[in-house]
Amino acid sequence: MKFKPQQKVASLPAWRRRLLLLCVLLGFVALVVQSLYLQSANRDFLQKKGGDRYIRTLELQADRGKIKDRNGEILAGSSPVASVWMNPSVVKVNEKNKQSLSALLKIKTAELDKKIGNKQKEFIYIKRRVSPDLAEKVKALKIKGVYFEREYKRFYPAGDVASHIVGFTGADGNGQEGLELVRNDELAGKAGQRRVIKDRSGQIVEELEIVREPSDGHELVLSIDRRIQYLVYRELSRAVEQYKAKAASALVLDAKTGEVLAMVNLPTYNPNNPTNIRGKTRNRTLTDVFEPGSTMKPVTAAAALAFGGYESTTKIDTAPGYMTVGGATIHDTHSNDVLTVSEVVKKSSNVGSAKIALSLDKQKLWNVFNQLGFGQKTNIGFPGEVRGKVRDYKTWRPIEQATMSYGHGISVTLLQLARAYTVFANDGELKPVSLVKLDSVPKGKPVFSASVANSVKEMLEMVVQEGGTGTNAQVAGYRIGGKTGTAHKLGDRGYEKDKYVGSFVGLAPISKPRLIMAVMVDEPTTGQYYGGTVAAPVFSRVMSEVLRLLAVPQDAPNANIVVPTLDGDGQEVV
Amino acid sequence: MMSATTRVNPRMVSNRFDYLLLWMTLALLGLGLVMVYSASIAIAEANAAIGHQSTYYLVRQAIFIGVSLVAAYMAFQVPMEWWQKMAPYLFIFAIALLILVLIPGVGRNINGSQRWLSLFVINLQPSELMKLFAAMYVADYAVRKSAQMDSIVKGFLPMVGVMVIVGFLLLREPDFGALAVVATIAISILWLAGINGWIFVGLIAVLPVAIYFLIISSPYRLQRVIGFMDPWADPFGKGYQLSHALIAFGRGEWFGVGLGGSVEKLLYLPEAHTDFLFAVIAEELGFVGVVIVLCMFAWLVIRAFGIGKEAAQNEQYFSALLAQGLGVWVGAQAIINIGVNMGMLPTKGLTLPLLSFGGSGILANCVAIAVLLRIDYENRMIQKGLPL
Repeated sequence: MKFKPQQKVASLPAWRRRLLLLCVLLGFVALVVQSLYLQSANRDFLQKKGGDRYIRTLELQADRGKIKDRNGEILAGSSPVASVWMNPSVVKVNEKNKQSLSALLKIKTAELDKKIGNKQKEFIYIKRRVSPDLAEKVKALKIKGVYFEREYKRFYPAGDVASHIVGFTGADGNGQEGLELVRNDELAGKAGQRRVIKDRSGQIVEELEIVREPSDGHELVLSIDRRIQYLVYRELSRAVEQYKAKAASALVLDAKTGEVLAMVNLPTYNPNNPTNIRGKTRNRTLTDVFEPGSTMKPVTAAAALAFGGYESTTKIDTAPGYMTVGGATIHDTHSNDVLTVSEVVKKSSNVGSAKIALSLDKQKLWNVFNQLGFGQKTNIGFPGEVRGKVRDYKTWRPIEQATMSYGHGISVTLLQLARAYTVFANDGELKPVSLVKLDSVPKGKPVFSASVANSVKEMLEMVVQEGGTGTNAQVAGYRIGGKTGTAHKLGDRGYEKDKYVGSFVGLAPISKPRLIMAVMVDEPTTGQYYGGTVAAPVFSRVMSEVLRLLAVPQDAPNANIVVPTLDGDGQEVV
Repeated sequence: MMSATTRVNPRMVSNRFDYLLLWMTLALLGLGLVMVYSASIAIAEANAAIGHQSTYYLVRQAIFIGVSLVAAYMAFQVPMEWWQKMAPYLFIFAIALLILVLIPGVGRNINGSQRWLSLFVINLQPSELMKLFAAMYVADYAVRKSAQMDSIVKGFLPMVGVMVIVGFLLLREPDFGALAVVATIAISILWLAGINGWIFVGLIAVLPVAIYFLIISSPYRLQRVIGFMDPWADPFGKGYQLSHALIAFGRGEWFGVGLGGSVEKLLYLPEAHTDFLFAVIAEELGFVGVVIVLCMFAWLVIRAFGIGKEAAQNEQYFSALLAQGLGVWVGAQAIINIGVNMGMLPTKGLTLPLLSFGGSGILANCVAIAVLLRIDYENRMIQKGLPL
């Protein structure tokens, strides 16, 4: 093909071409200028706007501190788990996968559909805290829009046994009960913060910076000894079952330091799965009060020796086994004649105790109750602790002064009662109680002289010897001492005829007390309810193992145990 | 230029062809391919309909480019004489496609716009072909009517009539962006062909009014305009897309966040791989990348005008007008698209020539560049006195 000119036109004006090209190029220049503005001068504003949309500040979880017993055994720890969540605006799941998801996570498909349908949200948990194994199975389904988050689940190796002390954490990881609640701040530590860029489906695409490192929670070492705790639990459960009791509590204190070695309540619950726990979560040893009954008599005896001019051999006539004070009558279960102060304690004579109390100065007696910590919180650092009730001595009527001496008309917690007995183990000094392991022996508060305390200690030993009310508490190879208590429960209309609390507080070994144990059994229903019957055997069984466990030297290696008579020779009277 | 034809060049072959234009085009296509891939990975992975394949758009864009290069090679073989002869028929063919696409059941409706014809494997967008064939038609028209160019009645009004038809069809889809480009091409060629200057005085006076009525006649267009004026007034509604595009620019700073580093493409910025590809370029390659791309486009326009000037000197007036018309097309469409990305113009559905994802657009752009290369080739042949 040969070149031939195209159709002839008037030559195209060059200035028009130049002007048009200039216009186009000016367009490009305008773009450069605008780009320069956006990418330099305006960039901070734009980046801030961008940051508002996809930079998120996330929490860096702090590790929650472990709770351990005094020997380093774990009572509460954290294990890694996965939480499954989804972004409903992204999620794509077919019917088969939905069924699998529902089966694996045990969620109804209707509930899944409801969560998937919630399109306004970008983050919904499908199920929190599943095992890593299960999370792997869900991951294998490869469902779009379903993601996983690493979390920690609290676990409690001691289960039901220590639940009232340790408590448990809720869905948000914060303590709900027990020490998990009251010590939450130090256990939880402080979460850190990190800044990330998220894409629109909510996935993290870039880590920007760690704003604050998390500071892990502190470990909490308790005074509890898991082995003793378990023994107490086992024996208390046995008593509850045997006497069909409504509830029961028991405490073991280190007699020298006031540390709580065991603290058990029944009914209890499993903190690993805290469902259906209504009425079971109370740490009754310090949230519930009861009228202690005759376990108060050693206190009365100590007061009598301290300032009433009594000796342990001072005689009191308790015949004919009852007396009338201001129109009310006080009874003994078995009538006695003349008893010494020691025998009043040993045989648990209400009449003898009342007579002693009526001879004492009201204010001084009240002062003893007060100094032993009745009516005051122990400040052991536990939620829900109550103070109990000791009425002001100015309002005491004679009958009240009399009944209080044997534990009626006064309400206490089991912890207060156990603490009061530290004076008999420490030459008259009251020790503070502690749930946390102590490094040194705390200073006590003198209440009685050493001789008064030791005299009462001797009386306590007599209680468990032949003719006493607490023979069932005996421990082979050891001399022990203690006091039984049986009290009618206080109902809405005065004392209830057939509802009792049987209790026992004891020291072991009595020659050089190492342990104090207090047991109370609430509403035994099998007809036996004396503290010497329902509570003292718990002391015996626990102590015989614990003393061996702690390698406490025997102080009566050759003494034979008095065969306990389980039909109840308790002689204390209401 | 005359000296070049008389001098004996030892490398004759390289002198017959504008390699720089070819490489510039291939560079833009290659950059587009990379950026389309980068911008589309997240979008593709999020899309169940395409099976979450991250390379879905990459593979398709590569195929589009391959097919378009073949088509461009074939177009290069076609003499300008033939293009000129066929221009009216190609234009009528394009109008026929525009009518076809509006027939319910034939045209495919995507996102509320009926712009695509389904051709088994790909969707053809007739408006892209219309841009090419309109340029040819108007160039031919201007040459045929060169004697009447000064007359408003005989030179201008017939073309106005034709443009009203094209405009009507494009607005029915609707594709306001394509109309703006076609109208710009037409007016530019008429201007270059020496149309009565008073028409432009009149047009400049009337155009704003016309645009105003176009906008208020259709509410969605008005919303786009409001979103463009102040995207931060309603950043999660009407201004959503633009505000994200602007954030991309801000994040890019001088040197960009790096290839693949864009956050905006992670499902925040809609149409990141098509209409808003440039925002992703700005974010990942920064101001430097922006300026380089703008310079490449500007160079393309300058080169097209240079080729047109040479064609005019060779008295190839159809080729001259067409070359410059194609330059205006690529330049105007790039400016409008990038201007939209930067919030300088209202949002409309225009792709970035040679870069954005899309088969019809790439095909039309490649054929246009091939025609440019052909005009240049014929220029060189004429200057050397060689046969075509």
